[in-house]
Amino acid sequence: MLILDLLINGLIIGVFYALMAMGLSLIFGILKIVNFAHGEFYMVGAYAYTLAAVMLKVPPWLALPLAFFAGAIVGLVVERLLIRPLYAGYTSWGLKRDEYAVIVTFALSILLINLVDKFVGPYGIRGPPLVGNARVHVGPAIVSGHRLVASLVAIALVAGTMLLVRYSHWGRQIQAVAQNRLGASLAGTDPARVSGIVFALAGGLAAVAGALLANVFNPTPDVGLFPATKAYVIIVLGGMGSIAGAVVASLLLGVLESFGSVYISYEYRDTFGLIILMIVLLIRPQGLLGEHSREV
Amino acid sequence: MLKDLGRLFLTLGLFAAQNALAAEPIKVGVPIALSPPGAVSQGTQIKDALEVSAKLINDAGGVLGRPIVLIIEDDQGIPEKSRAAVEKLITLDQVVALVGGHQSSVVLAGIEVAHRYHIPYINTNAWADAIRQRNYQEVFNPSPYNSLPAIGLAAAVKALAAKRVVTLVENTDFGIGLGKGIGDQLAQTTVGIDYKYITLDRTAKDFLPALLPLKAAPPDVVIDVMLPPAAYLLINQLYEQGIAPSSKTWLFETATGDYPDFWKNVNDGGNLLVAFGPYHPQMVLSELGRKVAAAYKAKTGFDPNRLLFQASDSLFVLAEAIKNGKSTAPDAVIKALEALRWTGTRGEITFSEEKNDYRYHQWIDMPYVFYQYTAMNQPLADSRVIKDVGRPFDVSRLIRPK
Repeated sequence: MLILDLLINGLIIGVFYALMAMGLSLIFGILKIVNFAHGEFYMVGAYAYTLAAVMLKVPPWLALPLAFFAGAIVGLVVERLLIRPLYAGYTSWGLKRDEYAVIVTFALSILLINLVDKFVGPYGIRGPPLVGNARVHVGPAIVSGHRLVASLVAIALVAGTMLLVRYSHWGRQIQAVAQNRLGASLAGTDPARVSGIVFALAGGLAAVAGALLANVFNPTPDVGLFPATKAYVIIVLGGMGSIAGAVVASLLLGVLESFGSVYISYEYRDTFGLIILMIVLLIRPQGLLGEHSREV
Repeated sequence: MLKDLGRLFLTLGLFAAQNALAAEPIKVGVPIALSPPGAVSQGTQIKDALEVSAKLINDAGGVLGRPIVLIIEDDQGIPEKSRAAVEKLITLDQVVALVGGHQSSVVLAGIEVAHRYHIPYINTNAWADAIRQRNYQEVFNPSPYNSLPAIGLAAAVKALAAKRVVTLVENTDFGIGLGKGIGDQLAQTTVGIDYKYITLDRTAKDFLPALLPLKAAPPDVVIDVMLPPAAYLLINQLYEQGIAPSSKTWLFETATGDYPDFWKNVNDGGNLLVAFGPYHPQMVLSELGRKVAAAYKAKTGFDPNRLLFQASDSLFVLAEAIKNGKSTAPDAVIKALEALRWTGTRGEITFSEEKNDYRYHQWIDMPYVFYQYTAMNQPLADSRVIKDVGRPFDVSRLIRPK
């Protein structure tokens, strides 16, 4: 019974980790930068969903796509205003690429947290559930009804994104730019446009993760810190830039944390992921599925 | 003629200078958390309360004819930033005293600096007994202290005849201190209780792995010793798993039930929860308390809560000490605070001089209640008082969850 509870909880939380980590992985795959403001895309989605549903009385199922679009728009704007100097002919400015990316995304993270703190307020507010049942029995285990439904939506989104990247026209363009930016542009793909699409998609996915979890982890200005920290571990563990690797690593981390908390110690919960990460990097430096990411 | 004019200007100049000197503001430093990762909701309530109180003091003519000016520093709830904030307030802003501190780990860092510069520090809301155990002459505590809820909770557990108690504490001086304190009190006052406390990360979001084993073996009482927002997540997750409040397990919590955002963050899980309260609307307030409550409601739109009264008492005791000591010099203020016997918002405040455990410079006889919410979204005023001020915990008034 306890084992089933732990397994279900671990898988559910792992699915949400995956939703967060996929966007981060996509951005790294395309631009080879780490977006330190990714947690704030999550926060934007959490607030967009909650404020739309609670203050504007938008039905929760309609507030979900609103959150996705809010995150996508923020992602697109960030890419246009802040990220584009990385690759769009600004080399004459003498930009140091990696330093620029770290500083600008880190500053953006602080700015967004403080903007929300100032204009929405420091007080937390719980997002409404997607379903009425607070508790659902899955065999002998009890699961929060919202968590269960939200995780099913998250699974659909994760699967949909993987299919989109693998089989759609846009997805092929993303794969091409990830493999070779110059080669893709010579073949007629506009890398700047693809980067915009990737940032919008990543922002939307993180935002919808925030929205789905707004009933579980009540939105506060710094709510994005927790999932973002996990996502950074996951993309390294899964293999930088590998979407499938990110999904596998997310589920692994969710289950590992769940069982480790009970059978080892809850106090060391956040260290389990780091220990596994160190072991994997020692044995397989490219991450669990890192090689696949180089091929796409 | 010119001579007369010169005399006139000289007289006017001297008069203006004298007035300026008389109206020189009394600067009071306020190191609080106004941005994450600190307890921003606490910091915001304290800031609002102090501003309301300072206005009341200034509208009544100030202290020794001088207005109170609050200089607020955001310490983000981080101990090292608190040290820096207190250092800046004392050395650069030259404040005469500090008020507003909340979050024990942060105040523990801040009082070290205040002690070094020998500047009075009025602790508004840091509960850890360790703050009192330092025996610093500069630190005064019109705030709750960990031993207070620990004594009250042990009495409640005894009254419930509970046999198995689990406390979920945050990994801070406040949380771990209270977790241990409850255990010590239970050991002193009861026999055969199976007690343990589990430490949780205050920045964590998902507590289920720590809670699921409780579902397999439900305790009689679960006590939540965390600050928001983690406290709210914990209450929600306890409820969703059917752990508490339930027919088998009572849920107690320590002093977040009256926060303005409580019901915006906690739904069904808050119903039938039992809370420790240093304030409850059924408490008798002094005239000052009523005045402060009305001003706070007018400014923020929120109902009064414990942090309002704690913050207000902090500033008013300082103002009273400056008035009584007729000076803002640290020694005069400290001496006046030690001799203080003054009616605050909720009762007469005096500071103990007994250097024993949590007692030094502590307002020992602070009033408190235990109350139970009996419906979701219930206003605090309608909640049911289970233990009134100065009375025992009355089990017969509790509603058992189904």
